Amino acid sequence: MKKQGSEGRGQGSGVRQYIATSAYSIACVLGMLLSFSLITTADARIYIDISSPGARQLPVTIITTGPTKSKEIEWIVKSDLEATGIFEMVDPDVPGAEIIAVLDVDMSGGLKVVLSIKDMIENREVLKKRFDASKIIIRPMAHSIANDIYKVVTGRDGVFRTKISYLKELASGKKELRYMDWDGYNSKRIISRGLTTSHNWSQDGNYLFYSSERKRQWKIYYLDLDNFRESLLFSSNGLNIVGGTSPDGLIAFSSSKDGSSEIYTVNKYGKNLKKLTRAFGIDVSPVYSPDGKTIAFVSDRGGTPQIYIMTSQGKNLRRVTYEGSYNTSPAWSYDGESIAYTGRSDGKFQIFVVQSDGTDLRQLTVSGNNESPSFSPDGIFLVFDSDRDGKRGIYRMRSNGEAQIKITDNIVKAMTPEWSPYLKK
Amino acid sequence: MKKLFVVFLLVFAVSCTKTYTRPSEEEVKPAEEIKEEVMKVEEEAAEDIAYSRDEDIGERDLSPAEVEEMAKTVFSDIHFDYDKYNIRPDARPMLDQVASFMGENGDYNVVIEGHCDERGTNEYNLALGERRAKSTKNYLISLGISSSRISTVTFGEEKPLCIDTSETCWQSNRRAHFVVTGRR
Repeated sequence: MKKQGSEGRGQGSGVRQYIATSAYSIACVLGMLLSFSLITTADARIYIDISSPGARQLPVTIITTGPTKSKEIEWIVKSDLEATGIFEMVDPDVPGAEIIAVLDVDMSGGLKVVLSIKDMIENREVLKKRFDASKIIIRPMAHSIANDIYKVVTGRDGVFRTKISYLKELASGKKELRYMDWDGYNSKRIISRGLTTSHNWSQDGNYLFYSSERKRQWKIYYLDLDNFRESLLFSSNGLNIVGGTSPDGLIAFSSSKDGSSEIYTVNKYGKNLKKLTRAFGIDVSPVYSPDGKTIAFVSDRGGTPQIYIMTSQGKNLRRVTYEGSYNTSPAWSYDGESIAYTGRSDGKFQIFVVQSDGTDLRQLTVSGNNESPSFSPDGIFLVFDSDRDGKRGIYRMRSNGEAQIKITDNIVKAMTPEWSPYLKK
Repeated sequence: MKKLFVVFLLVFAVSCTKTYTRPSEEEVKPAEEIKEEVMKVEEEAAEDIAYSRDEDIGERDLSPAEVEEMAKTVFSDIHFDYDKYNIRPDARPMLDQVASFMGENGDYNVVIEGHCDERGTNEYNLALGERRAKSTKNYLISLGISSSRISTVTFGEEKPLCIDTSETCWQSNRRAHFVVTGRR
């Protein structure tokens, strides 16, 4: 969420220019987020190829030295790594670890951790990295460390410092927009004004788009995550609900400005409006494929709500789902080959995944009602909401349906999660 | 053998990302002491939101005297079938009553709220609630009320009257609700 150059700014109105300036000063004052040094790849070796099916589990030992509280860092690192299913945690006094990660923690004046990763097979150190924080911030620190261990082992970026936005229902029935860490901790309120429903991240992670009803009008707003300033993206008569965003910064949404609910796109300034569908009936929930070339959406033009795809110009319309009479809330996998969605089966809502050509349909959930799937940016996990234990909450699973766990607190009623892209920190 | 292959892949990968000349085996070997990297970790702070301003929508809230007057006229909700937005015959008497009130009280406008039960996706339900409000509006227009005096809004499944999981409850939530406002 760190400001990256002038992306998304500079071309705007005078107001926007002013916002950008104040954003910069606020960001400076608060010293938000991180400076980064890239991991050197010169001595990289891939220990586990996570793209190959049935990859083995890598035995890893984590050793922590430092004050008692540093154990918390170790627990979080372990829990991050274990959630991926590709690590086997080995106690320090048990032999067999192929990788040993040593965390040397210093909490005297801020929080400093030196991470050293050793390859026990080749008996050499493969990464040494110092993490500095001015305050004792256990969770961001632990997730950053887990990301580096994951990167060394798999060669890929971990999602442990990504965020999940979601709605929390208050006792009054009102919903507020919040985001939290990938493991459900560190939840923060973002938007509480009006009635907020759909929400989604810009692909650069700098903005959150959402639809709010205020004074009986549904408009699309966005929040600049650098300075927490809200702006209006699009308003018109009728219902405007934000969908997904494209890699080049377009926003897809549905609007009933001309009567029936149709799919439109605008650029990040709310301009260059394009109407992509013209059908009697309800068209909602448009989401871009990762390459931005295809849009999946929901339409009841065939009599019941079903998932359709078309090009991002509104051409070559094809229906994807045929099973069942209620299929909604599509989400693309990171490789653009499959679509997860909510479908009704035997009177209950379940998460399904289907190839975008309609083949290879798989049901991932069975118990309770499960809705609103969203993929992690690496495609390894899905978040969704479920009422399987009585109270609706946010759950996470691997994208093949394994390891389903609730990540929001049991006392919280939470729904419609959206996973952020990788965030620039 | 497998290891050799991995090393080969690695050499290839490194040559792709770092340089376009194939490095020798020597260059791939790590130095004895690897360079320590440094990363600053900070927590992002949630701040107060600077909300955007909403413009006036050309309606006014009722004055206390008007509210008292209006308390005598309470319109019941009309109801809809599951996943439908057509006006049911049982809704017509209430719509007649709303239309005759509006005909006699030119100072008032009406907002029609469309609502749905909790089942299904919020986004689809918002669109469905809008259709319910609009079909209600169209019916009032057919009874002679000017479209400029009727506005619509959908709340989808966001404002349920009842939160049980039963057909009775769902039926009471699938409704159009009438709110009388002042005319500017």
